[in-house]
Amino acid sequence: MADQDTIELVKTIEVDKYKYGFETDIESDYAPKGLNEDIVRFISDKKGEPQWMLDWRLEAYRSWLHMENPTWAKVSFPKIDYQDLYYYAAPKSMAAPKSLDEIDPKLLETYAKLGIPLKEQEILAGVRKQGEKSMLDDDGNEVITGRVAIDAVFDSVSVVTTFKDELKKADVIFCSISEALREHPDLVKQYLGSVVPQGDNFYAGLNSAVFSDGSFVYVPPGVRCPMELSTYFRMNAKNTGQFERTLIIADKGAYVSYLEGCTAPTREESQLHAAVVELIAHEDAEIKYSTVQNWYPGDAEGKGGVYNFVTKRGDCRGARSKISWTQVETGSAITWKYPSVILRGDSSRGEFYSIAISNGKQQVDSGTKMIHLGKNSSSRIVSKGIAAGRSDNTYRGLVSAHRKATYARNFTQCDSLLIGDQCGAHTVPYIESKTSTAQFEHEATTSKISDDQMFYCMSRGLSQEEAVALIVNGFVRDVLQQLPMEFMAETQKLIGISLEGSVG
Amino acid sequence: MNIALIKTPAEEAFGISLPHRRMEEWRWTDLRARIDRPYPAHQNTVVAKIDVDRLIASSPFAKIKTHRIVFVNGSWDQAHSNFTGLTFEMGVPTSSAIDDPLIHLNGAIEPAGLTLRFESNMDVLVEIMHITTKGAARSMALRNCIEVADGASATIIETYLGEGDYVLSSVMEFEIGLGARLDRVKVEHESASATHLSHVVTSLAKDAKLNEFTLTSGGALNRQNGTYTFVGENADAKIAGAYLLNNKQHADTRLVVDHAVPHCTSRETFKCVMDDHARGIFQGKVIVRKHAQKTDGKQSSHALLLSEFAEFDAKPELEIYADDVVCGHGATAGDINLDHLFYLRSRGIPEAEAKSLLIAAFVGEAFDNVVHDGLRDALVNYAANWLQVRKNV
Repeated sequence: MADQDTIELVKTIEVDKYKYGFETDIESDYAPKGLNEDIVRFISDKKGEPQWMLDWRLEAYRSWLHMENPTWAKVSFPKIDYQDLYYYAAPKSMAAPKSLDEIDPKLLETYAKLGIPLKEQEILAGVRKQGEKSMLDDDGNEVITGRVAIDAVFDSVSVVTTFKDELKKADVIFCSISEALREHPDLVKQYLGSVVPQGDNFYAGLNSAVFSDGSFVYVPPGVRCPMELSTYFRMNAKNTGQFERTLIIADKGAYVSYLEGCTAPTREESQLHAAVVELIAHEDAEIKYSTVQNWYPGDAEGKGGVYNFVTKRGDCRGARSKISWTQVETGSAITWKYPSVILRGDSSRGEFYSIAISNGKQQVDSGTKMIHLGKNSSSRIVSKGIAAGRSDNTYRGLVSAHRKATYARNFTQCDSLLIGDQCGAHTVPYIESKTSTAQFEHEATTSKISDDQMFYCMSRGLSQEEAVALIVNGFVRDVLQQLPMEFMAETQKLIGISLEGSVG
Repeated sequence: MNIALIKTPAEEAFGISLPHRRMEEWRWTDLRARIDRPYPAHQNTVVAKIDVDRLIASSPFAKIKTHRIVFVNGSWDQAHSNFTGLTFEMGVPTSSAIDDPLIHLNGAIEPAGLTLRFESNMDVLVEIMHITTKGAARSMALRNCIEVADGASATIIETYLGEGDYVLSSVMEFEIGLGARLDRVKVEHESASATHLSHVVTSLAKDAKLNEFTLTSGGALNRQNGTYTFVGENADAKIAGAYLLNNKQHADTRLVVDHAVPHCTSRETFKCVMDDHARGIFQGKVIVRKHAQKTDGKQSSHALLLSEFAEFDAKPELEIYADDVVCGHGATAGDINLDHLFYLRSRGIPEAEAKSLLIAAFVGEAFDNVVHDGLRDALVNYAANWLQVRKNV
């Protein structure tokens, strides 16, 4: 039953019905097409960056020139001409920094259309203007939203960051990375590239050279960030690559929850998105990073769509630190993304929860890496892949324990569901255990849900299918509840569906 | 990625390039680095009958009555063989074109071999044995083809025994006909400094059945490839294996099970025990092709690491293109469960013995795939001896 529901529901999520495919007609400032050292200088100059930053970028650019496009992922796409792209595009009206009131109304309109509230007072009051829809109220019902500080990134620049003053009171720094470079250069210099170095991989190298904007978060010791932080990425300009860089640091004992959302207009040509996200958790700190990735997936024939080549990595630097990735992947023509955690600190913890849905001609190659270096470190991976249409959905993950990572613990579960016989679902896990005390478990079957739980549910009259769905849903709901309201509504719509069926 | 590399002395001697860790399937076993000196082929070695007899007697199946075809140092030894009633032809079977580094290597060494055909139900055990006697470092190759005709059934035992320093390459082809059945048991008990490289190509016709078990316990370096292709519906393949490794032994198994047609079942069960500095690797891939609906494929690999320096790597892969299938894999790695150990010790069983019991139970599951009682008992005894030696060290 649940299976059938899922199949029906996923079928209705047709790629052609991409909701956010509209284009904002706004004049943009472009850097000249192509990539060379001058473009890197141009971007750095536009941002008014210090010399060391420019040097850092150039170093990245020079090492990128010697790097090769990775070919190991199970995705195929025509060769990208890196000289045929704009590496910088900014709305013209954004020339000077402005307050919210002065922002181009077209931009505000765009975000309103996307359901991203940029006006603080409105969110505070929980009131919306007529006709201004939120992500929650598709039926026009008013819903009081939680408070979320948002950094809105439009093409290459950050448009606005909300709730800055209130965050300042808590000593939390939340701003665009360009601003951080101006105001907190020492922090940026200390941490930038310390998790994903310039030469880490092809796309990270490219990003390091030309990244234009992104978010910067620093939570000082012992501070629990008073609200959810969020970035909303919007790609608008044509033939533009978006390269944003996010850097989040949680100092000793700090806590922060961060969300990321992405959309792009419907275009016939493919667009490139190569982001880098670095997370650093010090002793006893915790970072939760959630993504709802809904880039334009291309049409049913696979024309257009965003190439999402992202490097995300967290570093549990201190003892008892924790990093958790939650991702919902529904968009992009191609996804190449492996949010990872380096479990350096003793007793540190890494988590990865993923739901990847592919349809049409989408190709998803995603997964995680859990690298256990510290004693008693633990990690958990739960990945659910759903492939429909003519898509390919691959989970690729690595769990490794270093010799010194005694008593490391990992639990991995990845389930796949195929809908139709034109698609493919693949699992490519790597397990490397170099210490006998490490306990690694990898499961890709559904029959291993605790027999006790099954028995309990079934003895209350649920069928096996219902019982399994209930248990898995219950578990996932736990994860989803970590997401703030804004994301939950839309996400649930997609996930509520998906999970039931993945238990086949 | 093909990098132009300077040929190593071993590659010069073989005349081909060896796989290295930049190749995805060889990431954990860098043959190019591991075979660090030339192993010339076709060296003349003086064979003393007493050595051969001693090695044959050291086989775990020495006491079991089998039809035996014995190869010594890469050539057929008719005197030690006993093959009344078998139909076979000596000579290397024509090679099917498979692009695999191990098959190329096998060809480069110029193998000896035979084609053995089972026309009807053979109620006997047929053992193909390869013995290597002490001598200068050298390489040898075997290439055999076993055909089980439609409706026939057979039991094949492969035993690899040896002394000294050598590289042995073995390629086996199995063709299992319509409704035919093959039981295969392989014991790799090469000398402690040997390199054992094997590749098995198996095809299963409609309603065919395969029951396979491989014990990997000897040799310094092991690499065993296997490809299993279902060409007819309703076929069933059970593939099991066990590692009993210690010292610095290295064993890497890579299996590809290709569900090319609907309604087939495959089961892979691997139990790997690594002690000291041993390293065990399991790479399994299950492919379900587009129209192979109703496929039931399960794969499990479990590792028991007995020393803090032991290592286990696994890559259980699934590649699925059909929607109405049941596929899964499970992989675990860990130490002996302390609760289990405590339970046994609280019942008065000494620690070393309790551990042996638990290890024996762990590998025992893979032995269950061996249908023939005598063979299974012999394997259980082999494991018991291995554990006894371990306990006494």
